[in-house]
Amino acid sequence: MTAWVLGLVLAAYAPQQAGSALLDPPREARVQALGKQLRCPMCQGLSIADSNSSAARAQMDKVRELVAAGKTDQQIRDYFTSRYGEWALLEPPASGMNLLVWLLPLALLVGGGLAIARTMRRPAVVASVPASKPEDRPPADDPYLEAVRAELRR
Amino acid sequence: MTRRGLWIGLSLAAVTAVLLFVLAKGFGRDPHEVPFQLRGKPAPDFTLKRLDTGAPVKLSDLRGKPIVINFWASWCGPCKMEHPVLAMSAKRFGQEFQFYGVVFEDTEENARAFAGSPDPSFPQLVDERSRMAVDYGVTGVPETYFIDAQGVLRDKVAAPIDPRTMMEKLAALKQPAGPVSEVVR
Repeated sequence: MTAWVLGLVLAAYAPQQAGSALLDPPREARVQALGKQLRCPMCQGLSIADSNSSAARAQMDKVRELVAAGKTDQQIRDYFTSRYGEWALLEPPASGMNLLVWLLPLALLVGGGLAIARTMRRPAVVASVPASKPEDRPPADDPYLEAVRAELRR
Repeated sequence: MTRRGLWIGLSLAAVTAVLLFVLAKGFGRDPHEVPFQLRGKPAPDFTLKRLDTGAPVKLSDLRGKPIVINFWASWCGPCKMEHPVLAMSAKRFGQEFQFYGVVFEDTEENARAFAGSPDPSFPQLVDERSRMAVDYGVTGVPETYFIDAQGVLRDKVAAPIDPRTMMEKLAALKQPAGPVSEVVR
């Protein structure tokens, strides 16, 4: 385990190579935009465009190569997901199981909003003590009630 | 319970069930583990030069005998640890399997110094700018890939390989494969 961690640390000292030659500005902008969407395999939550790791540089080279070859953005994303799975995408697509993660907060928000709206539309309840029915009242000659009254009068 | 209370209870139960399902699915796996998507698919072809002679090696020319490809670098500590396992396996099983090392993100001088001592047990290939590594979905080093005699990627080990794992993977590599998935572009 220690050696494995050490290896990861040493990975930072891998001989750095410069990235491949930049494309013309519009296509390079596409490369950078795609690079922002792809997860760096050696880093924690960084995109390959933002990472300095050698693996990220190699992947950016690949993005550049595919853009230069005339591939569409979707074809390039597919290239990476066919190798690294949806894990490669920093923003997973809203389909299949992922759809739940996208829709559930929305459903909760709508549900909560409806509940609040319904509560606010309901007429306010007047804080009054309901008049008790005559049969609920204790009889005037209730000995217990008389005892309590006598205690209170003392 | 009133009808309204029943509805609220059922809705909360449904939301909780969905949340639990999503969380159980999420917590059931290591978020840092990169899935091996190429399992059962034809190994992407490559032509790389040998570190020692400079001669080109093309994957499609190697069909007929299972192949073990190990990605490594001289700057990688765990690669040094696992190297004896690969060297011994290449010596012992070299008749049945082809072993290749692929230098990942390293200079040829450093790689030569590492692979050349004490002896080059199996051929080492130079992957310039890691093009082949990206084609294979490599996420770091060391990683070892197992390709069967028909050129299908059967398995990978994304950690320093130990003798027992190597034996298991080699034995599995000799077993017939299932149906091959679609071709990887």
